[in-house]
Amino acid sequence: MIVTDHDEPRDAGRIPAGLPADASLRRVPLACNEELLMLIVPLPDGNDGESAPNPVRITETVTAWAAEVDPRDFTSLPVITVPLYGCHVVWKPGQAAVVGPVSRLELLTTALSDFASCEGELRQLEQRCVDLVATVEEDAPHAFEFEGRAVSRRGTLASRFREAVAVRGRLAVLAPAAHAPPVHPPTLASQLGERLRDRTRLAERHEFAVDRAELAERLYEACGQRISEFGIAQRQMALEWAIVVLLVIQTALLVVDLLSRGAAT
Amino acid sequence: MSAWLADSSGKLPRVAIVGGGPGGLFTAWHLEQRTAVPLSLTIFEATARLGGKVCTASFASADIQYEAGAAELYDYSPVDVDPLRELVQQLGLPTVAIGGSAVFVAGRSIANLDDLGDVGGASARREFANFDIRSRSAMTPADFYESGSDHAGDAVAAGRFEPALDGIGCGKARRYVDVMIHSDLATEAGETSCGYGLQNYLMNDPAYMQLYRIPGGNEQLMQAVAGRLAADVRLNAAVTAVGTGPNGALQLQFRSGERHLVEDFDTVILALPMDALKRVRFTDTALADAMRQHVEHHDHPAHYLRVSVLLDRPVPVLPGDDAYVMLDAFGGTCLYVESACDPCATNGVLGWLIGGTAAVEMASLTDDALVATVLDSLPPPLAICRDRVMEARVHRWTNAVSALPGGWSRLPVDRRHRPSRAHSRFFVVGDYLYDSTLNGVLDSAEHVAGWVVAEHASGPGTMLMDRDRATMEALQ
Ligand SMILES: Cc1cc2nc3c(=O)[nH]c(=O)nc-3n(C[C@H](O)[C@H](O)[C@H](O)COP(=O)(O)OP(=O)(O)OC[C@H]3O[C@@H](n4cnc5c(N)ncnc54)[C@H](O)[C@@H]3O)c2cc1C
Repeated sequence: MIVTDHDEPRDAGRIPAGLPADASLRRVPLACNEELLMLIVPLPDGNDGESAPNPVRITETVTAWAAEVDPRDFTSLPVITVPLYGCHVVWKPGQAAVVGPVSRLELLTTALSDFASCEGELRQLEQRCVDLVATVEEDAPHAFEFEGRAVSRRGTLASRFREAVAVRGRLAVLAPAAHAPPVHPPTLASQLGERLRDRTRLAERHEFAVDRAELAERLYEACGQRISEFGIAQRQMALEWAIVVLLVIQTALLVVDLLSRGAAT
Repeated sequence: MSAWLADSSGKLPRVAIVGGGPGGLFTAWHLEQRTAVPLSLTIFEATARLGGKVCTASFASADIQYEAGAAELYDYSPVDVDPLRELVQQLGLPTVAIGGSAVFVAGRSIANLDDLGDVGGASARREFANFDIRSRSAMTPADFYESGSDHAGDAVAAGRFEPALDGIGCGKARRYVDVMIHSDLATEAGETSCGYGLQNYLMNDPAYMQLYRIPGGNEQLMQAVAGRLAADVRLNAAVTAVGTGPNGALQLQFRSGERHLVEDFDTVILALPMDALKRVRFTDTALADAMRQHVEHHDHPAHYLRVSVLLDRPVPVLPGDDAYVMLDAFGGTCLYVESACDPCATNGVLGWLIGGTAAVEMASLTDDALVATVLDSLPPPLAICRDRVMEARVHRWTNAVSALPGGWSRLPVDRRHRPSRAHSRFFVVGDYLYDSTLNGVLDSAEHVAGWVVAEHASGPGTMLMDRDRATMEALQ
């Protein structure tokens, strides 16, 4: 049986040959606005993974399936395989396979999509951090001195600052999930989550992303200060000129007044 | 660092450490670390090797190692400073974290609450979860960390562990806990204290403690320490007696090959496990008396039996990528897949750690019978290893470790380490004074080393002999 939300035009949507007849494919929408293509292979209940219809072949087949098909071109993370007490999970961004007893599948798929949502969001934030850091070098001089010809960049700098703050904010929201301590006593779901977090180095990646976002935030904050100092300086200069003009006018009027009085006498 | 002071004749104080196991080596290490000048430090070791029960041995048919003694090191750094972890780091040794959740009961793996629910239903799950909550409220990570010290609320004295286990109302959940902790206890749950039992249960929670080992063998730790010592190490020198000489110095009698020798020392530190300590004679009446009491208080033998098996190919990956599983065979046994952390392993190595009564009973079997018995206990995922055995080794550790029985209370730390007040330069170091682990013996060594240095550095350029000190104390 193939359960899909819509027809799959590519091979990614095909269940590989050699799997039990009740293997299914599911497209799971993730909280990070991505989709996870999940291959689900049920084993008979009460099975420890050893006496199933050739579990080794099944796990090899699903691993090969995940390694071959790359629907979204996420190449930075390798396929991760997690043998887990009678179950077997294969994961890479955008694609996963779960092999396990029927009674465990719901737990595993939920844990897997929780993890995938968190990892997906972190991956997106990492990309935003990369973009931010690329602009940091270009904008760094404005953090020390802001010149008149850069006035037109104020809007860009402000939007980059907003972006840095937004990324920091999302990273802060993600922190508890990325750094969650191991649960004890463990559940199958917590064990899967911990192993996936561990193998994808989620905590370390989150820390690096926070560092990058912080760097960008600090830089654009400094740019903001320089811009505001520049603005104040500009206003001060305008005021000084206004005072000079007023003084000149006052002096001129005084001179006119004196001259007109002299003429009268 | 305190200055080490020579006596009036300019001679350095002579310090003897008896026992070249972790206790002796750690004591020597700390003594040398804490003094500014070289010491006249002598280590007596009865056998031809240093390291004691931290022993990484090799198989004969292939140059592949296995742990014959301590297989795992305990990392308390999630809670507080961990001196053992720091020492390992300071010595530049690599480490790898190890873990394992699966407990095989009646051939079924229970690796989490879901599995327990499958095996014993909702009541097993609930009873176990309640036991876990009770355990964690009885002992916080900080209590766990402090459990050997004088500040510890003495959980060890708080009675036996069995009633805590009896509180688990479901047989299946209770069996699960029994099997989980049995091989770490090295004794029966009914014969241990509540505090020690709780510690051995809670060590499974990463918030309390984590496990690691040194790739290539834990004995490298002992070699790294020994290699950095300036001490005079006497191998094959078994100390047979300790007494006081005519000049008030402490006197050691020891065998060196065929010869029986006597040597005087200003300070003597016995870093021996209880079984070895009981074989040492004390020729000074007061010292003999104090040591009899010391032994009586601390003599609670526990037992291990280790069977290690070399396989002709790597072991299949354990479910969950674990480095060990617990089996219900032999009252509860830890089965290590020692080759698990080595991706390049050409062979597999399995090691059974059997503890408590089963270890004593099985110790009388022949090696072949023992190997056949343990192979029968292989859980389903590893059953195929039966036909792949190339070689097996057995190490019997009967009476070699210590249990902490229920109703037993620890002495204050100073009294533990200096059994005789009349012999202020005579100390003991041992894991049995703490929790029967390497962390415990390191704490013990550190305590004694600090004390010895303070004692020797306290005089105005002279070193007081016991006799003189007694006179001075009487005059004060
Ligand atoms: C099977 C097993 C597994 C273990 N697993 C762990 C573990 O996983 N983690 C952990 O932390 N701890 C473990 N331990 C405990 C750990 O090994 C001990 O805590 C540690 O070895 C104690 O060190 P020690 O120096 O006091 O004693 P020992 O290691 O026994 O060393 C004593 C030394 O003294 C020598 N000696 C004996 N008599 C004399 C004499 N008369 N004269 C001179 N020398 C003498 C001996 O030959 C030996 O070298 C285990 C122990 C065993 C047996």
